[in-house]
Amino acid sequence: MHRDSRVKWAFLLPAALWVLCFTIFPLVYGLRLSFFRVKIGEPDEFVGFENFVQFFQDERGLQSAAVTLIFVLSGVTVQMALGMCLALLFNRDMPLRGLLRTVLTMPLFATPIAVGFLFVTIFYEEGGLINGLLRWDVPWLSHPHWALVSVILVDIWQWTPFCFLIFLAALQGVSEDYYEAGRLETKSGWMLFRHVTFPLLQPTIVLVLLLRITEAFKVFDIPYTLTSGGPGSATQVLSMYAYRVGMRFFHFGYASSISLILFLLVLVTVSFMFKQIRQTYS
Amino acid sequence: MSFIMTKKKVKPLAFWALALLAAAAFFLPFYWAISLSIRNPKEAFTVTGLAVPFLQYQPTLSNWQTELATGETQRALLNSSIIAAGAALLAVLLGAPAAYAIARFRFRRPSNEGLTLWFLSQRVLPPVATAIPFFMMMRFLHLLDTRTALIILNATFSLPFIVVILRQAFLDLPIELEEAALVDGAGHMDIFFRISMRLAAPSLAAAVLIVIAFSWNEFLFALMIGTLHAKVIPVHMAGAVDTRGIQFWFVAVRTLLSMLPPVILALLAQRYIVRGLTFGAVKG
Repeated sequence: MHRDSRVKWAFLLPAALWVLCFTIFPLVYGLRLSFFRVKIGEPDEFVGFENFVQFFQDERGLQSAAVTLIFVLSGVTVQMALGMCLALLFNRDMPLRGLLRTVLTMPLFATPIAVGFLFVTIFYEEGGLINGLLRWDVPWLSHPHWALVSVILVDIWQWTPFCFLIFLAALQGVSEDYYEAGRLETKSGWMLFRHVTFPLLQPTIVLVLLLRITEAFKVFDIPYTLTSGGPGSATQVLSMYAYRVGMRFFHFGYASSISLILFLLVLVTVSFMFKQIRQTYS
Repeated sequence: MSFIMTKKKVKPLAFWALALLAAAAFFLPFYWAISLSIRNPKEAFTVTGLAVPFLQYQPTLSNWQTELATGETQRALLNSSIIAAGAALLAVLLGAPAAYAIARFRFRRPSNEGLTLWFLSQRVLPPVATAIPFFMMMRFLHLLDTRTALIILNATFSLPFIVVILRQAFLDLPIELEEAALVDGAGHMDIFFRISMRLAAPSLAAAVLIVIAFSWNEFLFALMIGTLHAKVIPVHMAGAVDTRGIQFWFVAVRTLLSMLPPVILALLAQRYIVRGLTFGAVKG
């Protein structure tokens, strides 16, 4: 640490003011909107909690909350498990290891909107890649349940690499000494993982879980392009529903309250893991 | 004895085969996009299975040529590049000094830890929660459908990344150099620009590449704000599908046009990706 100096404020303030203007102010403004009925050309009308109450009576709203929760829970679970398996698999010397790791990194940065369109051609029911290759007849995008499965599968393709990369980095940070000590006690690979690797990786696992959950709740692009939220509203996640209510039907007040409900969902989930995160970054 | 030897050799081989298979499975969609993009439109549906070029069909570059010759596509590529680069630059100008302040000076109310978490916590906010207010702000400022609006927006999203990654980078630098320069009478500004920023250059470059990739990929706000003049590649793509339907070959070309820049940038920063994605918490 340097000795205290007023110059520190000159360094900090531009970024802090920027956040106040473009993050905090819109958030507060959105909070205000959520208590009003907003119509273009008319003065806003204060309606108290009416928008929030409306959400709990709105079948589409509740459905999109359910779709979001299913999407987050199942997607993130598979990504964490698969990412961990891949990391354990790659945590050894093998030919072309660097190249294979690079290939597994690529989906992570692929433009989600493009990924959505690309998978439309992959899931295409006649002439698409999967049904063509495996000679299956699965209604990937036209059946409500399969459509949700498809959206989750694409998310798994894109985000498993995220879990994989971070777990692999963490695994490589584990000193060989721990395993040597562990091997004195047991020969079972599972026991070594359970009692040596897992406890050492636990902070990383919580961190990845947190980052994944917050990102997954925000999902918008992939259902927007892959299924447009359909068929019907089978894959309409909360972000999409809020966007539609706001930008298509111009119910700015109601749309704001939907997105705040989404925000609350994320906050509640995150608060369970907050203590761990505080330690990680302090 | 010989039995044990073979068993020892078979196991690594099996693991390697599994690893190859996993990488192939994750690469398959990219392969499919490439294969579609060099296929004659007539053959988009008739060629089945793995669609191996030369074996199953004669590849052609005509889809690429048509797409790249389109004025709208060129414009979208230009817009995407300007917005991503501009946002990264702005985020660094704002974020790097803040990161330095948090790494090198003691704050009391709020504490240094509180400041870091404050910047970090913005990543928790679902973008849709600020979308409508942001749209209204831009309308009020007459910035709708301008690159400026999207630069402001993406700089806002990038700022937490830059602050938190660079804070860690500055903490990892030896403070003695800066202290020696202070003794020699240099000011904090000089030290920041001439010493710390230069020494942190590798982390800075990696952070910049990662935020450029994310800005390039941003869609929700671009869809609301950049409808015509400031249309970026993702929005351009979505619009074309709306009006023309899914034309497999053009979807494939556009998919690759839009995916390749961020993927390549990220691979350049590969050594720092893990650190970047975990906001400096896990070192790759």
